[in-house]
Amino acid sequence: MRIEPEITGVLIELTPMERRLLATLLAQYDELVHDQLDESDLSGDPALARLFPNAYPDDDEAAAEFRRYTRDGLVERKTANSGLISAALTGASDDGRLTVARDDAEHWLPALTDLRLVLAERLGIRRDDDPLPENELADVYQWLGELQWSLVEALD
Amino acid sequence: MVVVAQLVERWLVVPDVAGSSPVIHPMDVVSNAASSTDVEREAATTSRSAPDLPWQTVVWNDPVNLMSYVTHVFRSYFGYSKPEAERLMLQVHNDGRAIVATGPREEMERHTEAMHEYGLWATVDRIS
Repeated sequence: MRIEPEITGVLIELTPMERRLLATLLAQYDELVHDQLDESDLSGDPALARLFPNAYPDDDEAAAEFRRYTRDGLVERKTANSGLISAALTGASDDGRLTVARDDAEHWLPALTDLRLVLAERLGIRRDDDPLPENELADVYQWLGELQWSLVEALD
Repeated sequence: MVVVAQLVERWLVVPDVAGSSPVIHPMDVVSNAASSTDVEREAATTSRSAPDLPWQTVVWNDPVNLMSYVTHVFRSYFGYSKPEAERLMLQVHNDGRAIVATGPREEMERHTEAMHEYGLWATVDRIS
């Protein structure tokens, strides 16, 4: 992975394996957000509950109304963000280099955040002092964090 | 790292039921971090709070979001200066929560929705 600021945007260089990994995660993310959202209430999956937090923890009625008015738009924009990354990955040159415009890179950040939020839930990281397990998924989680951190650095 | 692509195949979509836990209410996370006096002090120091603007957007701490990202969001979405964005980020990190905006209810809901798009944990509160 190599991330560098450029005049018009950010250069993102990923290995073929990294691109495949990211594409796989994004496809699952879309499935999670789209399909599972339709068929289950959020209480069944803490990760979904974290992607769509309760805006009114002390007021069920207001919470339901907020959900009703915001959910579709949030799903649409969240999947649009992830779709932007997927499209960029598909369009990467053979050497794995992508030049992403600043505005597009800004949309990468929330999508990477959401991936990390779901992975954290699957890894049992729910509080600041929860330890990171030693497994492959934790490696993926850390790699996503590194990617996001580098991207923020490049954009700031 | 390079061998994990196959292994993660379904890990994102299928929750690990055995390992999953109930959703944690924000108040559980911060425990006693934000007492009512803290809240009052925060509200008092938020310059835009006024009797006719009784709502606020609160961002809560989580163990996932990078400090630099949270600062970046506060700067790019709210237009806060870097020092102010960093102050609010640290308040979230250290105190468990921070009031990031105060104003009419609809506006606070709009901010909260935006925070949810960014993956931040935000709620709407009435200033008490």
